[in-house]
Amino acid sequence: MVRKQDFRKVTPYVWELPKDVDRRMRVPARVYASEKLFEQAFRDRSIEQLINVAMLPGIVRYAMAMPDIHQGYGFPIGGVAAFDYEQGIISPGGVGYDINCGVRMLASNLEYEEVEPYLEELASTLYHKCPSGVGGKGIIRLSWSELEAVLEEGASWACRKGYGDQEDLLRTEEGGCLPQARASAVPDRAKERGRPQLGSLGAGNHFLEIDIVDEVYDADVAEAFGLQLNRVVVQIHCGSRGLGHEVCTQYLRRLQDAPCRYSITVPDRELVAAPVESPEGQDYLAAMAAAANYAFANRQVLAYAVRLGFEDVLAGKVSNWALWQVYDVAHNIAKVESHMVEGKKKRLVVHRKGATRAFPPGHHDLPPIYQATGHPVLVPGSMGTASYVLVGTEQNLALTFGSTCHGAGRTMSRRAAARSARGEAVRGALRGQGIRVWARSMRGLAEEAPAAYKDVSLVVDAVAGAGIARKVARVRPIAVIKG
Amino acid sequence: MGTWREVEHTADLAIWVCGCDLSDLFTSAAQAMMSLMARPDESAQPVTLGVCLDSYDLEALLVDWLNELLYLSERHNVVFTAIDIRRMEGTSLEAQLGGYPIARRLRGIKAATYHELEIERTAEGLCTQIVFDV
Repeated sequence: MVRKQDFRKVTPYVWELPKDVDRRMRVPARVYASEKLFEQAFRDRSIEQLINVAMLPGIVRYAMAMPDIHQGYGFPIGGVAAFDYEQGIISPGGVGYDINCGVRMLASNLEYEEVEPYLEELASTLYHKCPSGVGGKGIIRLSWSELEAVLEEGASWACRKGYGDQEDLLRTEEGGCLPQARASAVPDRAKERGRPQLGSLGAGNHFLEIDIVDEVYDADVAEAFGLQLNRVVVQIHCGSRGLGHEVCTQYLRRLQDAPCRYSITVPDRELVAAPVESPEGQDYLAAMAAAANYAFANRQVLAYAVRLGFEDVLAGKVSNWALWQVYDVAHNIAKVESHMVEGKKKRLVVHRKGATRAFPPGHHDLPPIYQATGHPVLVPGSMGTASYVLVGTEQNLALTFGSTCHGAGRTMSRRAAARSARGEAVRGALRGQGIRVWARSMRGLAEEAPAAYKDVSLVVDAVAGAGIARKVARVRPIAVIKG
Repeated sequence: MGTWREVEHTADLAIWVCGCDLSDLFTSAAQAMMSLMARPDESAQPVTLGVCLDSYDLEALLVDWLNELLYLSERHNVVFTAIDIRRMEGTSLEAQLGGYPIARRLRGIKAATYHELEIERTAEGLCTQIVFDV
């Protein structure tokens, strides 16, 4: 069993396991974390999972983990791995069941004091306008042809239908649409599940939150992002709903015999994989991209509902209730990206599972508005705690293929959380902190209590210490809507 | 008659389930998952569905079986209360399911995973851990 002392401390925030520790490893494994968070990673199987990832064919440079690392399925959560497009593999376990689970942030010119008198009504309105909860149906019931269009066009379909505009798309990762998407690669069952769910939050750790910017670390970048102290912002955290889950389930099933057929040794069957350029690999890439597009469209429709809610409650009562988009990022996804590897430009499939893209200033994939700064990186905390807006650094392309953390990570099981406090008590405690909570499930609320999560500020400090992202602003919640 | 209990898992939901034979194990796993997911409205019209599966190996069959039930449950808004496995041979099974419309949803289960799933014979019978992504 690998121990902490088998790792080499490259810097106080970079821990490297040489590949000769296990002859099956093709590259070293790296954990980007403070010493405290690094030690926590040994409490579950996340380090073992990271080492397994390092064994996969075509992996480039390192198998990496961010400071919010914890045990997942196949890949650890917080895992990042890039594979050569021509020689390497693609793995559903490197993306996760909730394809393109991600975060969208909207900002405003509203000061906290303007909104506070209407906060209860605003939270209630958003709770009713934005469907949430287990099995919840969405705002839009799609026809088959409309669903196919969503899968191939992503957020731009929603904008074309009036749920947003070009400015939203410019401020969305990949413009809200992965070009590899192919609706025909998505299993019919996944489509069936997705048809009634567009414009819904889901449940679990998904949420809609009204926040206040309560600290600015980099005034120039914050200004470029449209973030100002004491102003209201909104976060939407959700993914591809049942459609994405079914895509992952069906492709894990389809790929069970792929390792045998392609002579790939997979140490964990949740790491089943196929060569990127194989028919199965191309089909999964296309289906995953389509599910990712569904998630972008999902958050676009929810953002529209949020804007309607703000208008309904605040129009005529405040001077300017308008919400504009800061950014929308994915944190469960595989992307085809171009990176410099040993001095040459290489096409890679970068898997980010519980990790977020963080491209630095000047990167060719950035929209013009964020060329000078890099794009916003949205890192939500647990319910009731702060969330952060970061930006990527110049050196993170070499360190992590332009990746950083995604959130807090759990420390307590759902059972233990539900035993330690009732949902009503959690809601009361948050109310005592000035945070209104609207939730469909009290049990779900108990399971998501802040005490069940790591301290996200430690995670964010660690990525800053590792030099892969910088803090721009911090936001704290004033209202939370959960499924 | 099989048994099951919830076990600790940091991020998701896990059970330890046992049966006297494979059919009993698969039945117990299905019953466990259904009871963790939802409560039935037994005053409503019952629903009957059939399942026919063929999988890569035995562990895959168990995962495919549970995920099939998840899909059917969502598709028909039903929680299955009667699980009757009619045939199990090698890596295939046929079953009849009976259930009722969902009265109350307890939690969302995205999928049954392969994580730490290994069917083995123990003093409790044929057992395995099953982790559900929630």
